[in-house]
Amino acid sequence: MAATILTQGTFTSTGVGVKIPVPQSADYFIARNITQLATTQATGRVVTSEWYKDIFNPNDGIRWKKTNNTSAINIDLFSTSTASDGFTYVTSSPVTEAQAANAITAITAASPAVVTQTQTYSENDILRLYNTTGMLQIAGMPFEISSVSGTGYTLIGLRAAGFAAPATNGNTRRISAYEAVDPQFLYITEITQALNAVVRTSVNPARYYVEGMLIHFSVPQSFGMTEINGLTGKILSVDSTNYTVTIDIDTTGFTAFAFPASSAVPTTPLFATYAPAGARTQFNPITNVQTGYDFTFQPFRTGEFTPFMFLAAGAQSPAGSTGDVIVWQALKSETGIISANNP
Amino acid sequence: MSFPSGIANINNLAPEVPVQALEDFLSTPMFNLIHSFGVDLYHAEAYLGKTTRMSRFERLSTDGGQLDGSGIDPAPEVPVRSDIDAKMEIYAKSIVVNEQVILWENPKTYSKFTSLLGQWMREKEDLLMRDLFASSVSYINCTGGLNADSPTSLSRNDFNNIETILLNNDARTMLESIDAMDKFSTSPTRDAFICLASTALTLDLQNIQGVQLKNAYPSQEGLRPEEYCSISRFRVFVSSKAAKKPGASMLGRTVYTLPMYGLESAAKIEQNQYTAVIGSRPSWVVSSVAQNSGLYARFAIARAITNQNWISGLNATTFQPT
Repeated sequence: MAATILTQGTFTSTGVGVKIPVPQSADYFIARNITQLATTQATGRVVTSEWYKDIFNPNDGIRWKKTNNTSAINIDLFSTSTASDGFTYVTSSPVTEAQAANAITAITAASPAVVTQTQTYSENDILRLYNTTGMLQIAGMPFEISSVSGTGYTLIGLRAAGFAAPATNGNTRRISAYEAVDPQFLYITEITQALNAVVRTSVNPARYYVEGMLIHFSVPQSFGMTEINGLTGKILSVDSTNYTVTIDIDTTGFTAFAFPASSAVPTTPLFATYAPAGARTQFNPITNVQTGYDFTFQPFRTGEFTPFMFLAAGAQSPAGSTGDVIVWQALKSETGIISANNP
Repeated sequence: MSFPSGIANINNLAPEVPVQALEDFLSTPMFNLIHSFGVDLYHAEAYLGKTTRMSRFERLSTDGGQLDGSGIDPAPEVPVRSDIDAKMEIYAKSIVVNEQVILWENPKTYSKFTSLLGQWMREKEDLLMRDLFASSVSYINCTGGLNADSPTSLSRNDFNNIETILLNNDARTMLESIDAMDKFSTSPTRDAFICLASTALTLDLQNIQGVQLKNAYPSQEGLRPEEYCSISRFRVFVSSKAAKKPGASMLGRTVYTLPMYGLESAAKIEQNQYTAVIGSRPSWVVSSVAQNSGLYARFAIARAITNQNWISGLNATTFQPT
């Protein structure tokens, strides 16, 4: 048994990177762009991508690329000149993408905040922001991005109109949406003063939390609303559009929640967060509706399954462009690693 | 006909076999296992699903309660129960050995592979518990250090801050439990919370005001080798595999997370009739010509933070003079 196809599959590209779990690990991975095999493009496309374990750095591999305007094939590495994103084999979580830190040129002091940055991120990517000059009170926080264009994106989870100044500098690094274990703690960016408080987070909470789950608050004094620190509340509803949850804690008499000033960093405590604290069931015998027991979201469990193969998206990358049909196979050799000294 | 003359020595008559194997193998490196001993261990029954529920009744309200003599009863209170669920997961590792390894190499290889699998189970379990602490607990940035990053390096004030958080939330120190003595002894601090840290922070730990390094403890009896020091009411245990997040500080440096907790704040659950299995597969099963045999290890584990009130922690960077 020289090599065995462990698993295989197909997907239609949505223009964003794809994670393919490889539970048995893989020694060889191949992806073919069936759609582009049948086309001839003015700028030749990558039609076949290959990866060998222990040979390539992250974000690399072999690309079989059509020549411009013909179906003739050129072969090189993703990392060679006119480099494009390739394969990244990930064996442990949490995942910080192996890429250069990208520079931000501005974050508006607006609600929601808008970031100016030349980048190739995708909708709903999660980025860790740091070195945010002028907005150091958010430095180190992860944010989910939306309304992405080549020159910027919006941070729905950051209402920065109350900030003293915009950020004039900064860096980002893309991270995984899932921690090693979920449900994970989230960063709070706003809490309303209301009978049922509305809590906004820097990322979409609907990915991790559902109605009926309990959340425990950790809010340092520097964020104002110290009364909620240490309390546990039940989620009444989740709003995936505004990245908020509504909870059963009455905050009307609490001190207003507010970010500390940028100038107070690093001597002021950061950050405000909430963490999973179980669930409380509720059963309505009239409607026969039960809330609080969602076995998909509620139990503590592995968040990011590893190992997986990440296929970068794009015309010159393994996961292709929107609409491309990709067929992939993961293979494993029983007889040792490829870097072994075999003739 | 001439012949070599002189003394036969190792220059002209080298030993036929230039190496010899020591009777025993050298130690296999193992990192400090610090993430499991302070948590509660439960067991899940087989045949009852893969999710284990841990339930806790919350305290009754202490508001009101005084009878005014009118005969009107105070309002009854509905007790509140919180349920914490954890999903059982199975992990496994195998080694396939060719018969020629057994035939021509050290005869202890097979038994050594078995012990390697045992070590793998302990290390993997430790990392899984580490990931639980790193992912699902709220941490506070250190602010008292001097390296101008956010979080800063560690300081005494940061430790005191977490102690205040735990005490405000009625967390119990580990010595509330009778088995705390067995877990990490009682010297020098009887009422101690646990703090877990990376070995990369040991220099910072040494410089914290009031630190008592382990070698200065009045009694060394029963101490765990993983313990490094005591700060305030925290006993600090270190591991090279403790949690860290690369590029997560204000300045883009690595952030280390230090879980700090008391009794009944986290749990691991083992699966009855499954947990911790080491076995072998004979060569006639693994290979069609009976040349390869197999060893495997499997274990099942579920993990959960069982009380967020009784666990907190610090985010810290390491002190780097500039």
